[in-house]
Amino acid sequence: MAGSPGRHTPPQWQRGRFANWFVTVDHKRIGILYIATAGFFFLAAGVMALLMRTQLAQADLEVVTREGYNQLFTVHGTMMIFLVVVPVLAGFGNYLVPLMIGARDMAFPRLNAMSYWLYLFGGLVLLFSFFASEGAPRAGWTSYPPFSTYTTGVGQDLWILSLHILTLSSLAGAINFIVTIHNLRTRGMSWTRMPLFVWSIEVYAGLLILVLPTLSAGLTLLLFDRKLGTNFFIPAGDADGSPVLYQHVFWFFGHPEVYIMILPVMGIISEVLPVFARKPIFGYKAIAFSTVAIGFYSMLVWAHHMFTVGMPDFLNGFFMVSSMIIAVPTGVKIFNWLATLWRGNLHFDTAMLFALGFLSVFTIGGLSGIFLAAFPIDWQVHDTYFVVAHLHYVLFGGSILGVFAGLYYWWPKMFGRMLGERLGKLSFWTTFVGFNLTFFPQHLLGLLGMPRRIYTYRDDALWEAYNLASTIGSYVMGLGILLFVVNVVRSRRGVRAGNDPWLADTLEWYTTSPPPEHNFDKVPYVTSARPLYDLRRRLRERGAL
Amino acid sequence: MFIAFCALVALAVAGAALADNAGFTPVEPRSPNAEAINASYNWVALFTGVIFLIVQGSLILFVVRYRRGRRRRTDEGAQVHGNTNLELAWTIAPVLILVAIGAFIFYKLPQIRDIPEASAAGEEPLDVTVKGYRFYWQYEYPNGTIALDRLRAPVDGNVRLLITAPDFDVIHSWWIPALGGKFDAIPGRTNESWFRASREGVYRGQCAEFCGVQHTAMTATAEVLPREEFDRWLEEEGRAQEAGRSETFGREIYDAACAKCHELGGEGDIGPPLKGNALVNDAEAIEDVVRNGRGAMPPVGKDWEERQMDALTSFLEEEFGSGG
Repeated sequence: MAGSPGRHTPPQWQRGRFANWFVTVDHKRIGILYIATAGFFFLAAGVMALLMRTQLAQADLEVVTREGYNQLFTVHGTMMIFLVVVPVLAGFGNYLVPLMIGARDMAFPRLNAMSYWLYLFGGLVLLFSFFASEGAPRAGWTSYPPFSTYTTGVGQDLWILSLHILTLSSLAGAINFIVTIHNLRTRGMSWTRMPLFVWSIEVYAGLLILVLPTLSAGLTLLLFDRKLGTNFFIPAGDADGSPVLYQHVFWFFGHPEVYIMILPVMGIISEVLPVFARKPIFGYKAIAFSTVAIGFYSMLVWAHHMFTVGMPDFLNGFFMVSSMIIAVPTGVKIFNWLATLWRGNLHFDTAMLFALGFLSVFTIGGLSGIFLAAFPIDWQVHDTYFVVAHLHYVLFGGSILGVFAGLYYWWPKMFGRMLGERLGKLSFWTTFVGFNLTFFPQHLLGLLGMPRRIYTYRDDALWEAYNLASTIGSYVMGLGILLFVVNVVRSRRGVRAGNDPWLADTLEWYTTSPPPEHNFDKVPYVTSARPLYDLRRRLRERGAL
Repeated sequence: MFIAFCALVALAVAGAALADNAGFTPVEPRSPNAEAINASYNWVALFTGVIFLIVQGSLILFVVRYRRGRRRRTDEGAQVHGNTNLELAWTIAPVLILVAIGAFIFYKLPQIRDIPEASAAGEEPLDVTVKGYRFYWQYEYPNGTIALDRLRAPVDGNVRLLITAPDFDVIHSWWIPALGGKFDAIPGRTNESWFRASREGVYRGQCAEFCGVQHTAMTATAEVLPREEFDRWLEEEGRAQEAGRSETFGREIYDAACAKCHELGGEGDIGPPLKGNALVNDAEAIEDVVRNGRGAMPPVGKDWEERQMDALTSFLEEEFGSGG
């Protein structure tokens, strides 16, 4: 199915040290390209965040211009979501799914390469929009019309173009994941023996396929309104369009997107916790099923982003209840993870620290979500810094901390060398403390009445105190990220990792680190969700270990 | 692991002791709907607080209790694969909590949604149309009086807000935290909200839906006055505006609709300076710009009534024109 990699010899020019990265169709290299590119965009969008926090350190500062500020938060949000979290997870999925299911590659290696290159160019379109006439897009990552319709300059059009390209990229990637997972599992790997990370990628890919076309349609109509003078989203006398229609379309995509960004991270956590607790995951089936349940319900909750547009109360009530229902499978996961720690032999390597940090702060993000789901409370906190705090607790405290857990865990597999543990721990603590200092006070700011997306704020002692704390926190967090970058650079001379430095359970640790191009010479028959654990036990029984 | 976090919480709690709530609950409510929202907030905070303590508590407990100690990586933890009863328990318990939260919200909803009974017999709620423009709020009273940015209302009186935005504008969101939740001002739609201010005073809020370059400057103020004072203002200002002799109207329009981009003294900022600008002597040219916009300037007064336009043009001429 995957052609026969390794059998045909590539021409000379493709074998150069750099050239082979441009022509590669190897899922591992594409995975690394995804992760590295997402890392680059993460640093870029992080710098934008620091600029915004500097502007907000005190009231009435003029670090950036007003339009500049609007461009920064628009590109920061769009970039972190579409160019960092979603693709870094596609990177993990690319690298890990074939290895975890004992396959040689993804089902469609060349389609896989196309997904990556579309992603890179789509990302560059957005990044370089800063040089467009009138600068980068400035209507927020949600780009609500009529504002985004009336915005002058080409920044907004580049935003639409960029998202169109990224949508194609993700769609092709998602189809590839599903075909791979359904068809290329090795002997013995039934659905209930599949690693939980692969389960999460299955749901991630399914959601992408279901909701991305909606986004594409909405963006296309927005482009028509801007360029062809249609009025799908603007009221214009007798040919009435509705700005609220765009919000429905956008959030029908946008809320599942939230779960697209967190489910694979939950998958990572479900892989990391048992290995460092030296236990099996508690309630494998409950965790796998809750992933599917979250994926399903995520498509029924979109209008909880729209409680203030004036929907009738039976709709408000419906979306409140459906949003709260999602808390149930999410709670199941959290309690199962906690139970995985119970009576374990907990090893606090850096990957585990990040996973435990995830568990702690993601819970806070989940709990603040309940306030937002209760629609009358949302009428107070909607579009304030409370929401900014909530979404960063979920997306940074959740997704990004989980991604770091994954990076520290799988780095030795990817590069054959360990990341430094001392620097790693320092990086974790700096990031974790900085994160909480940045975002916890933002809950309070929101409740005090500070709306989001403002370039300065009321000259009030308490507002300034919380904002200053938040800005200081963001620098501390930036330092933590910087320490990670140093760790990456130093890992070139890091300790060599064997095949399986963590004594882990899943198939990717069966092969060498890094794996050969064809992944495995031989794949053991899979007898449970922990094939390597079974293998070690059999070897021990035979006295070979 | 949570030292920093706990320190932060302690710090914030200390702050809460100083200020009345320091941001741990929505701002002090001054209207029944805001009060009911705060009650809902506290109810949710009760449950989430308990869950927070359970999760973080057991996390810390397990981290300490089951830490590696002297054990090696090859030493296994308990090989427990799950427990159906436990898992059922932590599926059902959250359901019950959410039912309790949802039921309370629906129980409180009428107090948040519905205008309360009038205190005086025969007292009708005061209907005010609230319109969001880039970047100011315009209030229209039943007698035709127009006010900008500063909404005046009587104390202990029901005020019904009809929140909208003109067709040519963008979405804004009307919000004064002490007087209740926010509702979007959407072109082509009208949302209804209300408040009943329990105390005289000035309440502040600001636009909560990103609407453009001066979204930040789009503040909203509600000035709650004694009933007689409010009635007197409404009648006198209404009559003065109708006769075109209101002394404050021109200034009010300028401050709200123009000054955010041209500065209070007309020095210019995002927009060009108006002071000494030849345009200000030409009422027709002003009207053209205000009604149709120019370049980056939105059509801020496209649907203004004639008397509103006249008040602005004569103000501009007096203030910044060759005569002034």
